Amino acid sequence: MADPVLSVQDLTTSFRVDGQWRSVVRNASFDIGPKETVAVVGESGSGKSVTAMSIMRLLPPGNARCTGRIAFEGEDLLAGPLDRMQAIRGNRIGMIFQEPMTSLNPVLKIGSQITEVLRQHRGLDGAEAEAEAVRLLDRVRIPSAKQRLGEYPMNFSGGMRQRVVIAIALACSPKLLIADEPTTALDVTIQAQILELIKTLQEEEGMSVLFITHDMGVVAEISDRTVVMYRGEVVEKATTEAIFREARHPYSRALLSAVPQLGAMAGQDRPLRFPRVDMATGEIAPPPPTADTVRADAPPVLKVENLVTRFPVRKGLLRRVVGRIHAVEDISFELRQGETLSLVGESGCGKSTTGRSLIRLEEPSGGTVGMDGHDVRGAGHSELTKIRRDVQMIFQDPFESLNPRIRIGEAIAEPMIVHGLVSHREAPARVADLLERVGLSGEMMQRFPHEFSGGQRQRICIARALALEPKLIVADESVSALDVSVKAQVINLMLDLQENYGLGYLFISHDMAVVERISHRVAVMYLGEIVEIGPRAAVFETPRHPYTRKLIAAVPVADPSRRRRRVVAGDEIRSPYRPADYVAPKRLYREVGEGHFVQIHESEAAA
Amino acid sequence: MSGYLFSRLLQTLVTLFVMSVLVFGGLHMVGNPVDVLLSPTATPAERLEVIRSFGLDQPVWVQYGIFLRNALSGDLGNSFVYNQPALHLILQRMPATLELAAAALVMALALGLPLGIYAGLRPNGGLAKAIMAFSILGFSLPTFWIGLVMIMVFAVQLGWLPSSGRGDTVDVFGVPLSLFTLDGLAHIALPAFNLALFKISLVIRITRAGVLETLQLDFVRFARAKGLPEARIVLVHVLKNTLIPLITVIGLELGSLIAFAVVTETIFAWPGMGKLIIDSIAVLDRPVILAYLMITVVMFSVINLAVDILYSIVDPRVRLEGN
Repeated sequence: MADPVLSVQDLTTSFRVDGQWRSVVRNASFDIGPKETVAVVGESGSGKSVTAMSIMRLLPPGNARCTGRIAFEGEDLLAGPLDRMQAIRGNRIGMIFQEPMTSLNPVLKIGSQITEVLRQHRGLDGAEAEAEAVRLLDRVRIPSAKQRLGEYPMNFSGGMRQRVVIAIALACSPKLLIADEPTTALDVTIQAQILELIKTLQEEEGMSVLFITHDMGVVAEISDRTVVMYRGEVVEKATTEAIFREARHPYSRALLSAVPQLGAMAGQDRPLRFPRVDMATGEIAPPPPTADTVRADAPPVLKVENLVTRFPVRKGLLRRVVGRIHAVEDISFELRQGETLSLVGESGCGKSTTGRSLIRLEEPSGGTVGMDGHDVRGAGHSELTKIRRDVQMIFQDPFESLNPRIRIGEAIAEPMIVHGLVSHREAPARVADLLERVGLSGEMMQRFPHEFSGGQRQRICIARALALEPKLIVADESVSALDVSVKAQVINLMLDLQENYGLGYLFISHDMAVVERISHRVAVMYLGEIVEIGPRAAVFETPRHPYTRKLIAAVPVADPSRRRRRVVAGDEIRSPYRPADYVAPKRLYREVGEGHFVQIHESEAAA
Repeated sequence: MSGYLFSRLLQTLVTLFVMSVLVFGGLHMVGNPVDVLLSPTATPAERLEVIRSFGLDQPVWVQYGIFLRNALSGDLGNSFVYNQPALHLILQRMPATLELAAAALVMALALGLPLGIYAGLRPNGGLAKAIMAFSILGFSLPTFWIGLVMIMVFAVQLGWLPSSGRGDTVDVFGVPLSLFTLDGLAHIALPAFNLALFKISLVIRITRAGVLETLQLDFVRFARAKGLPEARIVLVHVLKNTLIPLITVIGLELGSLIAFAVVTETIFAWPGMGKLIIDSIAVLDRPVILAYLMITVVMFSVINLAVDILYSIVDPRVRLEGN
């Protein structure tokens, strides 16, 4: 290999916690060659982001300490004064962060946030800098760049903001780009666009890329070589093909087996648990087969017909309704006991609003929701309380859905006591039982939420939902915020519970691979409407609607040998905002297979 | 925008109306100004004459009706004490108060902002801790006590600065102001600083909190990763975000600076509105109290409007809309 652009040797980074130095990264070493892409992969707490921050020396000087050697084009970045980094950051090394929504200063114009870099590093001024900024925005494919310079970040969508961030990072043609989870916060079609963009620009510029991610699919898609980090240490480094073909370290194998892979379910007709991996030996135990839980004989537990939820947009002095957000538009579906129906789609497609409308957390504007024979929309106060007992929700963020000042035992007991299922005296025994059912121990009930990890908290939320012995659980992005291996465990738990209690799940998610793993049936939502619904195998293996196909195509494939150059449409996710006088067209569906329906265009309907 | 202004105007009118009803009714219940104003030796005939001339012989709602009719034509009534139009009395005193408030505000920002930024950048440094200790003193020591101590030290013992009055004034567009003469500046220094002390502490605390918070945000980290110099990161990226909460608080505080500078004005014998209103309340001089409060309401509305507009300039995410 030619001389590496960046060579990290024995990097140890420590933070001062309560006066003590604790190492977060230990003896990490790896190289990045010219024009090479190296992925650093690991779960939260593995030290991958800290490694990136150490290279840029962005950690707070008083509370962090780096030792070892980081040679960038031959010069040691860790030696020498911090001031010298100013000439390197943003100039010879560019960096992009995870959150495009917060990487840009909300109160400064996009233009000035680009030109300040050009002035600083390239000595450009005034009109020159502005012309260059326009050229940079053009290069990251932002339309009508010249007008957009005067706009603020709030006028840009997440994907567009990440493009601006990339434009800034590449403004000075750096030799190395450090990308720290640059697509994690983005929708899958937007993620595909951004990955393509980074690849293209890398070829044009001939730069090297250090790509930090937790997503093995992205790794397979983009990197030449891969460095696996686990608890602060580099446990394995090899070419990406080698890692995926024959990973040596047990952790790498565990990570790979926990990755939900789109297409891995071909030939399976039921949901499937993730295989369990022994962390010491790396032995993979094949998952036990899943029982058939769907009660096809009984009437469906949930029946949604022509559900509509719209939010008025008011303007002006008299607060007239000038338009509406058609969050949910004329959707119908059924869910049986023991069945998992997934609602899948991108941000703003109305999948969460659908879940919330079912128990009138959002008031629907039309249609009917039948829950176990009760009419939800017509229900009075006491009937609604009864219905809500049968439908429980689990939300995305396990950190925010538990009150930090209430012991988890109380949090789980509260709904049972409110609904009169148990008395105060009986509650602890019942809580202990619930905690054990979700794989925790009864003694934990005295603890507060902050004493648990993210995965444990999500188990607590599940225990709380189970407390009322519901018939249906609405899981709104419930595993999206969890690390890969924790995600696999929680999904396994959900499948266990479904087998044991015949629960129905309405599983709301944007993650196609997880959906494929867990669902019996899938509904694809776009702009508030269901465009395709059917059995999981049919929707994933023979998708009929163009949007479904686009979604599936955009998912990164966790297999480097199947890497392909994709043609990615550069379009944005559209908004379901409509003017006040808009009349939603009546949608028609065609049955293309057993229980597999696809929305058809009006012209097709006429034919 | 025009819808926004209109709804703001409407709000102000409603507030004015409600306030005037409350004050009118309240004063009516508190007591009779005639008892306070008239000397005990006055004959019953004189007493009746005074009551009649003030219009106090009418039922209270009739009095209020008359007040309302006159107010709509711009006449807020004559002072019971001075027998001059109440509005005129107040406007005469207003420049002195406005001037004092403005000087205090400038001091609060000129000292508070840099100190607050410094304390936010080096929260654990010795100097930062000293600044914060000073701000605690500024909050907790009573204004009148500090005023007296300042007079003792700077006026009596050191003899550097005068302790009372406005000093020489010059007319600027027909308004007498002290700020443009040396003697006037010397006179305003002590009262303005006395008035500003609390606000300086407030500005320090808000700025420090804002800087500390903003420094943690992603865009600051990104700005560092862009290789920008620290000065630009602090003075452009951080400061502009810190100004947002500051503007809100400063706006409210400016209103209270103008309306309630009473203590400072009294200690330094500053001939402003504060002294007038205290005297008027003592003798239940209803027209002056009413006029004063109405002006205060209007002033608060105007300041809030200015704050909102400033806000939308600093923070592009804010859009002004009527509601």
